Amino acid sequence: MISFEPSEDQKLMIESVAAFAKSALRPKIRDFEKARQIPEAVRKQAHELGLGTLLVPEAAGGPGLGLTTAVLLEEEVGAGDPAAAFGFGGPGAFGLAVLELGDEAQRARLLAPYAGADGHSRFGAVAWGEPKALADRPGFATTATKKGDVWVLSGEKAYVVNADRAGDYVVFAQVDAAAGWDGLGAFVVRRADRGVSPTERSTTLGLDAASFGGLRLDGVEVKEEDRLAGGADFGAALVRFFAKQALLVAAREVGLCRATFDVTREYCDTRKAFGKPIGHFQAVAFTLADRAMDVDATHAMVVRAAAAWDAGPEGALSGAARWERDALLYTAYAVSYAHEAAMRCGDDGVQLHGGAGFMRDYPVEKAMRDAKQLALCAMTAEHADQLAAALELGQPLSLGLVLPTPETQNAFV
Amino acid sequence: MTIEFSVSKRQLEMREAIRGLTKNVIRPQSLAWDRAHGVPEDFLRNFAQLATSMGSSAMRSGLGEEKGQQEKTGGNVGTIMASEEIAWGDAGLLLCLPGPGLGGPPVRGSGTDEQKERFFGIFKDMSGPLRWGAYGLTEPGAGSDVAGIRTSCRKDGDYWALSGRKCYITNGARASWTVIFATIDPALGRAGHRAFVVEKGTPGFSVGRIEEKMGLRASETAELVLEDCRVPAANLLGGEEKYQTKEGFMTAMKTFDNTRPIVAAMALGIGRAAFEYATDFVRSNYALQRHTPRYAAIAERLARIGRNLHAARMMTWRAAFMADQGMPNAKEASMSKAMGGQAAIRACIEAIEVCGAEGTIAKDHQLLEKWFRDIKVYDIFEGTGQIQRIVISKRIMTDLRAF
Repeated sequence: MISFEPSEDQKLMIESVAAFAKSALRPKIRDFEKARQIPEAVRKQAHELGLGTLLVPEAAGGPGLGLTTAVLLEEEVGAGDPAAAFGFGGPGAFGLAVLELGDEAQRARLLAPYAGADGHSRFGAVAWGEPKALADRPGFATTATKKGDVWVLSGEKAYVVNADRAGDYVVFAQVDAAAGWDGLGAFVVRRADRGVSPTERSTTLGLDAASFGGLRLDGVEVKEEDRLAGGADFGAALVRFFAKQALLVAAREVGLCRATFDVTREYCDTRKAFGKPIGHFQAVAFTLADRAMDVDATHAMVVRAAAAWDAGPEGALSGAARWERDALLYTAYAVSYAHEAAMRCGDDGVQLHGGAGFMRDYPVEKAMRDAKQLALCAMTAEHADQLAAALELGQPLSLGLVLPTPETQNAFV
Repeated sequence: MTIEFSVSKRQLEMREAIRGLTKNVIRPQSLAWDRAHGVPEDFLRNFAQLATSMGSSAMRSGLGEEKGQQEKTGGNVGTIMASEEIAWGDAGLLLCLPGPGLGGPPVRGSGTDEQKERFFGIFKDMSGPLRWGAYGLTEPGAGSDVAGIRTSCRKDGDYWALSGRKCYITNGARASWTVIFATIDPALGRAGHRAFVVEKGTPGFSVGRIEEKMGLRASETAELVLEDCRVPAANLLGGEEKYQTKEGFMTAMKTFDNTRPIVAAMALGIGRAAFEYATDFVRSNYALQRHTPRYAAIAERLARIGRNLHAARMMTWRAAFMADQGMPNAKEASMSKAMGGQAAIRACIEAIEVCGAEGTIAKDHQLLEKWFRDIKVYDIFEGTGQIQRIVISKRIMTDLRAF
């Protein structure tokens, strides 16, 4: 059947995460912002709720929840503070990269530490982007060269979420220069490895409690066992990684849309002008109605996409042969829609608050800044659109076109 | 209950059967019906029989169903899925289908058992002449402002005397009966409204002009004239006591909660048709063996159309899912209609743009040109996009009764 109703188990989890978001995150968003981090006590609580390790498989000590449950919970966190989702401890994008690109042994070995008692202080990161596009060939400037039985990585990565906090990184580097975007490799690198140094943390437009930086690699040696081969099709696994990571970001955006809509609705209900609540004027009410549709539509689209991944080939509505294509397509749709909807909700949130919205006494200006920052995480709307169009047109997926790269637009990963 | 998006084997088979039918039989005749201002009766008869054998409520009259029928037909979700498929083939056909049509929901929702038996009974015999029902609410002076209808009704013994004009009535001229909304006193507003089932041939009940429309030209849209039309008291929908409360007006509104997601689904069928057409056009004219950046901007435009249709489709499924679960869904139904209409209109407009100058040349792209004409009314009938936003607003804001 077609159903949008979470299971009883999911409802219980949503309830507890929503309660946490309401009590521990929402009242503190300005504190997190000023501190530019999530304090340890809150990270610990989040870790106890399993929020950093939702997708970590049971074999590695995690709850091994499906993507559907994950997006429902990420939405609740996003409604509390979208920045917090980046600032909790946990493997983050690193975890998803290992899940999609690694083999079973690597998953268990690399992710198990995050399930431990000190998981709230462990961060993982993915070093994908680079400061500049290459003029002479497609691909990354960072290279991985095989020397004896190790790989040697050199170069500079940029737009890395939690670069300065992470202990583990998946670094993407050029293995085969002639193959362009099809010549990439993925390597697990530790902060403690010789030649690894995070670059200075950036100050950003939004998501202040998250951290955005870069990573310098100076002749870093990586053992073969720490190369993530990506299974049978590295490119396909890479696209899956980006799509799912972007879907988690989109889920946080659903939370942002909802929370921003709620405070704005409340403001329009109580703020009076010309003798009545401003929400009783059509220009205001219709704007709110449009944003209400954004809230519901982004939620439905994100859930639909996540469910498509969880259903797998057997449960696919359009048949087994097309299931991954459809899951990717629904994800691409959800991501670009959520990116734009979050921006609209943030923008109109400030607009309908009028001058008050511009002041930091109200949360809406933060939502507007966070929305723009979120829309540049994992995958931009433009890349999601190119991915969707390639799928619709039945074109082979060209990695240089459907993934964020310095050649087109960088994204924070 | 859990989040899932799957259909039973039976539903899947039905969808495939409908897809085959729309692709191979309906779509190829779509333009001819548009030009002829109608679908031949033979076709409608065969289609109705097929619909009955398949158990598809969407193919029968497209509008809601009896309780207890859900299992067989897939409920509201099944109906909207089928409606999208058929509209993909030809949207006009759905409006031409014999059956109670839009008149069905108010009779089903508010009629007495005797009335239901009498007015639905005529549709049971499939071998006789085709029959339609219709819904007469809109007037020249009252469109979105439904409460402003002026058609009057006055009790006169065992009869009610109705006078006024109804316009834009789908199947109005051919309908065996029409649910006519009238008022005992305009000053009473909603409380003064009464709904009657007025039968064809009732003295004083006549057909005015048949409209020439931008699109959906296969569908008949009529003006109905009531001149001191004497309607038996037994045809007052629900009987006298029904109107002691505010029910009268609510009868009219109840219809829309059920039908809006279906109308949205129909819009999505047209929008998807245009979207697929444009995608095929791009695939064969741009993408073929050329480097991607040459069409990157067009690709992005296609993606935007596709995602907006998908967004609206999810809203439509959700509204129908809620209806099947017995959850109140007036807000969600309006949302699906507002988003579906807009997404599909954009799809049809942009599909033409994507195809460039060729897109407007009827000779080569007749269907594209037809969909562009057909789709516009989907953001107008069953409540304009603006009316949907009023419905949504009232359910968002506290104590907002009217603007």
